[in-house]
Amino acid sequence: MKKWLGLFLVLALVFAVFGCSPDEPVVDENGEPAEDNGEPAEEAADLRVGMVTDAGTIDDKSFNQGTWEGIQLAASDFGLETRYLQPGGETTAEYITEIGNLVDAGFDLIICPGFKFEEALYEVQGRYPDTMFVIYDGYPHAGDWDPVVNDNVVSVFFAEHESGFLGGLAAALQLEEGEVGFIGGMEIPAVQKFNWGFQQGVLYANENYGTNIVMNADNFIYQGTFDNVAAGQQLAAAMFDKGVDAVFAAAGGVGVGSINEAKARAAEGEEVWIIGVDVDQYDDGIYEGNNSIILTSAMKNIDIVAYDMIEAALNNEFPGGQILTFSAENYGVGIPDNNPNLDAEVEAIVAEVYALIQDGTIVVSAEQGDLIQ
Amino acid sequence: MKTKVRVKKDFYMSFFAILLGLLAGAVLMAVTGNNPFEGFFYLFRGGLMNIERIGNTLATATPLIFAGLSVAFAFKTGLFNIGGAGQMLIGGLCATAIGLTFDLPKPILLTMIVFGSLIGGALWASLPGLLKARFNVHEVVSTIMMNWIAYWVIYYIVPQYFKGPFLETESQRIPEAASLKVPWLTELFNGSYINLGIFLAIIFVVISSLILERTTLGYELKAVGYNRDAAEAAGINVNRNIVLSMAIAGALAGLGGATFYVGFASNMQIGVLPSQGFDGIAVALLGANSPWGVFAAAVFFGLLHTGKGFMNAMTAIPPEVADTIIATIIYFAATSVLIERNWDKIKKINFAALLNRGKKDSLKAGSGGEQ
Amino acid sequence: MDYIVEMNNIRKEFPGIVACDDIDFQVKKGEIHALLGENGAGKSTLMNILFGLYQPDSGSIVLRGKKTNIANPNIANDLGIGMVHQHFKLVHNFTVTENIILGLEPTRALMVDTRSASSRIRELSKRYNLNVNPDAKIEDVSVGMQQRVEIIKMLYRDAEILIFDEPTAVLTPQEVQELTKIMHSLIDEGKTIILITHKLREIMSIADRCTVIRWGKVIGTVSVSETSEEKLAEMMVGRKVIFDLDKKEARPKEEILSLEKLTVNGKDGGHGLKSFSLGVKCGEIVGLAGVDGNGQSELIEAVIGLRKPDGGKILLHGEDISNLSIRERIEKGVAHIPEDRHKHGLVLDYTVQENFILKNYYQPPFSARGLLNWDTIYEHAERVIKDFDVRSGQGVEASARSLSGGNQQKAIVGREIDGNPDLLVAVQPTRGLDVGAIEYIHQRLLEQRDQGKAVLLISLELDEILDLSDRIAVIYNGELVGIVDADETDENEIGLMMAGGKRGAAV
Repeated sequence: MKKWLGLFLVLALVFAVFGCSPDEPVVDENGEPAEDNGEPAEEAADLRVGMVTDAGTIDDKSFNQGTWEGIQLAASDFGLETRYLQPGGETTAEYITEIGNLVDAGFDLIICPGFKFEEALYEVQGRYPDTMFVIYDGYPHAGDWDPVVNDNVVSVFFAEHESGFLGGLAAALQLEEGEVGFIGGMEIPAVQKFNWGFQQGVLYANENYGTNIVMNADNFIYQGTFDNVAAGQQLAAAMFDKGVDAVFAAAGGVGVGSINEAKARAAEGEEVWIIGVDVDQYDDGIYEGNNSIILTSAMKNIDIVAYDMIEAALNNEFPGGQILTFSAENYGVGIPDNNPNLDAEVEAIVAEVYALIQDGTIVVSAEQGDLIQ
Repeated sequence: MKTKVRVKKDFYMSFFAILLGLLAGAVLMAVTGNNPFEGFFYLFRGGLMNIERIGNTLATATPLIFAGLSVAFAFKTGLFNIGGAGQMLIGGLCATAIGLTFDLPKPILLTMIVFGSLIGGALWASLPGLLKARFNVHEVVSTIMMNWIAYWVIYYIVPQYFKGPFLETESQRIPEAASLKVPWLTELFNGSYINLGIFLAIIFVVISSLILERTTLGYELKAVGYNRDAAEAAGINVNRNIVLSMAIAGALAGLGGATFYVGFASNMQIGVLPSQGFDGIAVALLGANSPWGVFAAAVFFGLLHTGKGFMNAMTAIPPEVADTIIATIIYFAATSVLIERNWDKIKKINFAALLNRGKKDSLKAGSGGEQ
Repeated sequence: MDYIVEMNNIRKEFPGIVACDDIDFQVKKGEIHALLGENGAGKSTLMNILFGLYQPDSGSIVLRGKKTNIANPNIANDLGIGMVHQHFKLVHNFTVTENIILGLEPTRALMVDTRSASSRIRELSKRYNLNVNPDAKIEDVSVGMQQRVEIIKMLYRDAEILIFDEPTAVLTPQEVQELTKIMHSLIDEGKTIILITHKLREIMSIADRCTVIRWGKVIGTVSVSETSEEKLAEMMVGRKVIFDLDKKEARPKEEILSLEKLTVNGKDGGHGLKSFSLGVKCGEIVGLAGVDGNGQSELIEAVIGLRKPDGGKILLHGEDISNLSIRERIEKGVAHIPEDRHKHGLVLDYTVQENFILKNYYQPPFSARGLLNWDTIYEHAERVIKDFDVRSGQGVEASARSLSGGNQQKAIVGREIDGNPDLLVAVQPTRGLDVGAIEYIHQRLLEQRDQGKAVLLISLELDEILDLSDRIAVIYNGELVGIVDADETDENEIGLMMAGGKRGAAV
């Protein structure tokens, strides 16, 4: 038993060294962020931007990546120091740990891309009142879904249904005839709204532009995770085998699997398409030269929002305490500006409809209604 | 007492393994263009720099202690329990279900949660035990499969019966009374998410240690683990011990699940296998399968996990490299088997240089008569 | 002189023990050189050094006149040294061929070329009269055959210096004779043999010269033709050895164990046991003689309770115990000294004291209410190792693994006899042990008999059966060939019965 005591003594010693070293560089005794001193950010503007990744990795071709790209763009425009941390798991405690790490390391603005951060933010917004936080797709609450958005937090929502609508419309117009399917990740509101919007977009094209696109309930599936690449591939393969021409994959890593399947088929001459999600996934779908199997992407402009939030913080205009919704109205959602796989007239029609959504002529429902799943 | 020599050797081996792991981590940092001293400084600082972080380190270690104990206990009986993750899920499910179903005073509810998760984990793990005992199904295969069964059971049950008002993907938050977090402890550790689980863990380290060292049950289990044939020939019911061992291992992992889902966290998410179930294997290896060794190893891993983010934040080491460094340390730390195999050489390295010269001299002098 | 192997001043220390204390050892080309010594004398260590398994702390090895450094067994192989270990190094679910080529698989077009290998094995087998079937699986062949596989393994690697570590420990008399023949044919083909053994008779019949080692030191090297068994024994043990057992007249009483038409199906194509009937009385030793694999293991397993009989009855004190568990039988007074002490006898990673309670840890005084009573266990163990002369470096707290083979066996014998059983089933109780230990265990078995206990002795060593038994039952092909009084028979008769020849009068 003595040796374990010894180990604890060693640990205590380690603590003495690491815990109480007098020349600590950035953090004072209480773990409060001290003034920025000595970190290599001399020329940089006086804002350090951190991000904690949601489930998945920084290169998830989705939320994490989009947010990080926005941060990187802002960093190069304004000369900021940035960093992202990846939590060990997906619990509130682990999110709080990583946010605490960024705060302790002196970061001023922390972006949390995902609803899973809701309770973590509820905890930290009070604990670190001098730090600014942005959360996507959610708002801080104590586990009871009663929003408590402090002055240092901005909560950002997107109108996924509008984005899905535009994606569905563009796909239907381009295909004119055929069948489409949907692969979702987990059955969470954001993904559901993409799905429902997508169906409305397809129906809108069928009714108003004479397209003949079939939607079969069998081909609207939630895989259940955001990371099962193999399952995404299998689901897509099954759908393509059943004659589906284009699949809307709103599923993170699962969608990556679907894209891989489509690429493999396209390389062998089959004509299959994927409608991307969250960010412009065109480059991810390239299988040969410049050809991509991404027909278009139903985007949430997370990168732009990240950029805007950083810019606002720099100008002392951080909209703390607000719950913001980004929709077509404020250009928060949409399809990419550049769609090599869409005809010009399709893009033109989408632009027209975009305007109709903006002025309220077309209202895309965020509810299931009569739609599939 | 009676295993003094062995424990001492195990301790040095684990210690050496950790050193080797840190060294490998240092090399990795250096290769990726970072300063290893700075890296390790912030790594350990991140886990230890104030009372809150120490609390977090312990809280992170808590489920690892249970997972490690679970694996170590099964190891002692010669079984390789890779089902820790699934058993944690089931234990966590039992805990969550009890917490969300009953409206009782905290002491009663927590007692129910402890026993509920313990029984749930035990039953879940005894199934592969039974399969092994009756049909000789290898427990590695069956426990892995049970992980996925547990995964999908959670996937079905949580949204179906315990779903929160909005999200499909996680359970309702458990009420205060069902949480292992208690205000005095949180305050003592300055807002840390440390919870009663750490005390439970210590209690079960002691219990495990007692069972293994002091009871006839432990004696039987170990006899079966070391030499199944001899145990059988001596009249020990091998099959019963296999089932029992898996059940105990499952009970420990189930408790780990409770400390994770109603202590560390406040709800259950679907679609996630807790990584602690697998890290438990490394913990058990590093802890040489001894309960207190597991405890120390888990705290060490907890320290790494807690400190990692701070290292990231303070240096330019990206999280992926940091994860690789942690994994490298764990990997090396867990390969004490390799070190054991080369133990004699290691000893030679340490002493050869020092002793050889003197030895040669004495041989030359012609004194060969030592006994 | 024309030495093929010269080991000069070899020294090897292990913690707390000097295994080889400046040993000089020379072997001539083309001779059978015996290395004699008690267990733990340092014979195996010396040979493991020659085979590259251990590195000497000091000293040098000269092979064919050239100083060499044998860093590992691969180098030893390349130098033409081969070794048959006491515990065979074979993969049980591989075929003979696969085992032999393991490590140097011949390939053709990236495939293992087993065909050319097995034809070469056939050829070697024919040349040395080994009678090995290259396609048999190791788990299906007898111990004697496994040994021959090991021999072919060496020959396949073109070994010239063949080390045999206690090769006869596992063989029947006939097999020993076979082996002797094989060894001589090896010598005729120009090989050199080093034979590690503690069996004097073997040395006298096979070896040309003999080096005796005691306590890690060379006592001397003698020409076998100029010495005698007694002289060698004295050199080995360091005192005069009494060869004759002090065996009193047996006084058998009532029958305690009765096997009535016991039938056990053989596993994996073995013979099994066919309607086997035998009685063992209190106060007698019944020896069961037979060539390995003729149903002995089925008999033992059925009596002990490891297997359920497929027919017939096992009566203990007149009560049918066929369906009782192992533990229930132990509690009724059945003790068992297993054939394979590592597999069935000891938990090697347990300490000596833990091994002593393996069968009764759950009973007082060793435990109460599920808690072990370490003090009592310790005292008990201290007493047993004293009573049974178990020698271990760290006393009762040493792991069983660290004990020498003889002491491991004494520990098992001690545990079983100390439990004061009515029936002791002793299987190969002196397998692989040295003279001193054999003598001791034999005395103990006789002592049991004289105290009115029954002993069922199963052994492949005919000498042992003949020396100890009062009656001898011979088993062949799973059937009882006959039962003879030990006083009225001899090696030849038993040997014939072991080969299935019925004894006209005594059935």
